[in-house]
Amino acid sequence: MPDLFSAMMKEEWRIHATIFGSAGFAFFPVVVAIFAFAGSLALPLFSDTLPSTVMAMLALAFFLLAGVMVGSFGTMGREFMNRRFGQASLVAYASRSLPLSERRIFATFIVKDTVYYILLYVLPAAAGFTAAAPFIALDPIWGLRAFVSLALAFLIGLSAVCLLSTLYARSIGLLAGTVVVLAGAGLAALGMNAVFPPYAFLIDPAPGSLALSLILILVPAAASVLLVTVDYPDRTKRFTNRFEPLAERLCPLGSAHFIAKDALDLSRSEGGAGKVIFSFILPLGLVWVCLRILIRFIPGIDPLVVFAILLGVISATIYNWLTEFDSFTSYTFLPVEVSAVIDGKLKSYAIANLLPVAVLVLAAASAGGAGSLLPALAAFLSVSVYTLAVTVYLCGLSPNIMLYHAWVFLRYVLMISPALLLLIFASLLDPAYAFGSLFLVPAAGLLIARARSKWQAWDMPGY
Amino acid sequence: MQQMIEATELTKNYGNVAAVNGISFSVMEGELFGLLGPNGSGKTTMIRMLTGQVRPTAGSARVMGLDPAEDPIGARKLIGIVPEQETPPSFLTAEEYLHFVARIRNLDRIDERCDRWFDLLGFQEKRDVLCKDLSRGTRQKLMVAQAFLHEPRLVLIDEPLINLDPIVQRTVKDFLQEYVRDGGTVLISTHILEIAEEICDRVGVLHDGKLLYCGQTEGLAGPGRSLERSFLDLVRGDAGA
Repeated sequence: MPDLFSAMMKEEWRIHATIFGSAGFAFFPVVVAIFAFAGSLALPLFSDTLPSTVMAMLALAFFLLAGVMVGSFGTMGREFMNRRFGQASLVAYASRSLPLSERRIFATFIVKDTVYYILLYVLPAAAGFTAAAPFIALDPIWGLRAFVSLALAFLIGLSAVCLLSTLYARSIGLLAGTVVVLAGAGLAALGMNAVFPPYAFLIDPAPGSLALSLILILVPAAASVLLVTVDYPDRTKRFTNRFEPLAERLCPLGSAHFIAKDALDLSRSEGGAGKVIFSFILPLGLVWVCLRILIRFIPGIDPLVVFAILLGVISATIYNWLTEFDSFTSYTFLPVEVSAVIDGKLKSYAIANLLPVAVLVLAAASAGGAGSLLPALAAFLSVSVYTLAVTVYLCGLSPNIMLYHAWVFLRYVLMISPALLLLIFASLLDPAYAFGSLFLVPAAGLLIARARSKWQAWDMPGY
Repeated sequence: MQQMIEATELTKNYGNVAAVNGISFSVMEGELFGLLGPNGSGKTTMIRMLTGQVRPTAGSARVMGLDPAEDPIGARKLIGIVPEQETPPSFLTAEEYLHFVARIRNLDRIDERCDRWFDLLGFQEKRDVLCKDLSRGTRQKLMVAQAFLHEPRLVLIDEPLINLDPIVQRTVKDFLQEYVRDGGTVLISTHILEIAEEICDRVGVLHDGKLLYCGQTEGLAGPGRSLERSFLDLVRGDAGA
């Protein structure tokens, strides 16, 4: 068991180090701690708008989701790994080739994820919070309570996904039944005014809430280990040819085959709705909350224009969805220029951008801000195009990987933030100044042209 | 007979590693040429240079009259390529992928072409299955099909029979021989000597990026010696030299 654990820890580190670079990834916990420190220092600014209890729940919910995402990637991320590394072969998939039982491998896998990600996410976040505690008049003991409760929330998410993925491997009916039972239990708990146990522990570190949290972690984890199987039922998906009619309809746009492929990739890949919620709706909700706070501090701010500017940045994540399962190597054996692939992605992006435009129009309608809709639209489109251009220039078809690289991310921030800050500042003086954002469009054009040349010269890696 | 491939002092360095080290050889029209060599000998890098997927550090190549480093798209329009590792896109079906490739290649009669390959390689019943749900062998069949979809005169195949069951291996080998008899040209890379012995007219033996032998397949074995014995002597002799 210790050897297996040690091998899995090394493997996890090497996966990340391969993707992000050893130095870049080693710096990641420090970045988490710095963000947690800075965020904690800013807590008093938010206290008028959001009670501290709500902020604590949000933090716990964030770590619960982090646990869910870590568990999902660990148990279902093989497809992503295969695209990035060829046919990925991890110790976790090795029960058929090693003299080790699948239960033992899976149990070690859960322990590995627990230790690795607590060291990577939870400990640095709690350390940043603890370091900031004296500056915001909190007893540093809250740092320890935060660490334990965040770790509990993270592990509840992780073990729940481990159980659900195990059930999924056995039977979709079993999975659906369990989800219904769990949802019912959750609703019943809400009806009885029950409190999320890690939150209860944070507020009052009583043994009862700790024990309940541990039950919520250990029972699903143990059940998933007992029920784990590598004999997956055949769930082959079949579709009639939807590519050809779609490409035919898209012909007038050019690059029709690339756009049609992107559309099918998006609609058929796992987590379609999850992607929209986690990388689009949730950040937008957060922006909206922050804007409500800003309005109190900065009178005269036009929330719609500022929202449009930030929406432009967030909408660039749509490009990440479009490139998730693609790479330049997928095309090197076909008579197609890298720049043609990029052009196809840009067109797909333009079509998908109708979603944030609709969000902006809805926001204008609901906030009664139709008067500033035109400058808001101009700001959104300019910022969206510019952010996309920066992303394509820096990352090519791999934003999901390269934006995690510290150096690339720093360049990304430095290329985008000055323009954004200038634009936000100008729009504070007069929302009509948002039309000035149109100067970003030629800059974006220049960047796209450079991106095409840069990635055209890309050479397939060898050794 | 036309010279379909001509490599002159081709070299590719990755840092301090010479993956391919000054190799020259040619392949004539109507030949089935095998690049043999152990793992890591430079076969895949050689195919990538000949197909314009990577740029050579030094030397040059002509493929059907074009320099693949100067005009990779032009070269890839003319030839077919089966890469060793690349798999078809996960969320298209097998049929949709062939349509995707056909549109990239601007082909007509797409359904007819697809049907021919589904029938020939025997995976008609898998045409509507998502590529991610296909077995490795069926994915390999699909990659073979996409390479021949435009009926090229020259095809370069990196490890052609890997993951295929014996029945389909036989089908592919028969097809390649028939294709060559009809005037097509094939360059395959493989480390499986039996394949070369059975179907290749000429072979080149690579080891540590160097070409140790280039000539008739029978010439490599020599009288009274197996191809395996000769190959091992050649490669081990080079390693010990």
